[in-house]
Amino acid sequence: MSEVLLLLMVVLLLTLLGGLVRVVRGPSEADRMLAAQLLGTTTVALLMLMSVAMAMPRLLDIALVFAILAAIAVVCFVATGEVRDHDAT
Amino acid sequence: MLLWLVFDLVLIGAIVWLAWAALAARDGFEMIVLFMVLGLFVALAWVRLQAPDVALAEAAVGSGITGALLLKTWRHRRGRAAGDAAADARPSRALGFGVMGLVTVLTGMLAAVLVLIPRPAPSLAETVFANLAVSGVDNPVTAVLLNFRAYDTLLEVVVLFAVVVVVWLLGDAEADRRAPRLGSIFFGFARLVLPVMVLIAGYLLWLGGFAPGGAFQAGAVLGAVGIVLLLGRLYTPTAADRLPARLVFGLGTVGFAGAGLATLALGNAFLGYPPEAAKTWILVIEAMLTVSIAATLAGLFFGAAPSGRPTRESDR
Repeated sequence: MSEVLLLLMVVLLLTLLGGLVRVVRGPSEADRMLAAQLLGTTTVALLMLMSVAMAMPRLLDIALVFAILAAIAVVCFVATGEVRDHDAT
Repeated sequence: MLLWLVFDLVLIGAIVWLAWAALAARDGFEMIVLFMVLGLFVALAWVRLQAPDVALAEAAVGSGITGALLLKTWRHRRGRAAGDAAADARPSRALGFGVMGLVTVLTGMLAAVLVLIPRPAPSLAETVFANLAVSGVDNPVTAVLLNFRAYDTLLEVVVLFAVVVVVWLLGDAEADRRAPRLGSIFFGFARLVLPVMVLIAGYLLWLGGFAPGGAFQAGAVLGAVGIVLLLGRLYTPTAADRLPARLVFGLGTVGFAGAGLATLALGNAFLGYPPEAAKTWILVIEAMLTVSIAATLAGLFFGAAPSGRPTRESDR
């Protein structure tokens, strides 16, 4: 069981690295921001797996805090953005 | 256990690479996003190092609040730098090399400490665990932060207070007027998430007594509530809010120091709580800190002393 969890953790970690491609290459700001959100979601999943694999149930609290705060950066991204014409396309 | 090794090595490699990429990024926005992603990986690393308290702090402060603060600061600067080329200039080569030299020396000193430290490394962990029973809490981290080394935490709160004072002195709220208004998706989100965030802040505050949690984490989550309210213009501070804001900003420092004076009056050491009521003392202090830290973080996000006149229009 724990081997399966561990394998899943490694796979998720590798998908995190895959998501980094979009963060680095963009090209638009929204691409980078949404990629970061995706990585945040993966991190929540990773923390839940780690909480079982490492027998640390309190890690679920960390996952909870990540999950509830994940959207703050995106809301900030949208709300402080400038209204520009070419964003509409 | 080969897979654990693979996991840890990939994690370490990713952290080093991300740190470099965040430093080397040419675009400020890319830098901020990379820094936020770095926070995710670092939190995972803290978990692997069996330090869930630090991982929780990273989750609460590092990812959510810091990202929002950096983003807002970046937009703010860019908004003002339009037509001001000097604001966009990169730091000089000499400054870069100077900083690089300092960082190299610091890293070298850290490495030397790592090598020269006696084995087994000196540790106060045993002393902490031996006295945990009289600390009033079951989480050794909270016991150190709010009881054994409470004045360290008091000074941290003072730092936060000093920061908000400086921001109020120097901040300029006028530059953010061009921001778009948010639509119905946001308000659905806010309606759903804000009450849950308040609940989780209370949960984290209580949790600190026996598990990773506490005032700073709870304050960060509650502060995020304030940030969402500000972003959605569900709450727009006006000049009339200055006095209550000052009171709440000061609550952490004054309440904590006041508790210290009260313990002196009881004949104990400064911040030496009576052992039989230590839990109550810690909880009351942490509750004040939570509210004060939350207001301070939201105040920092607002970025200036509110100056607008109160408006009575209901335009949401």
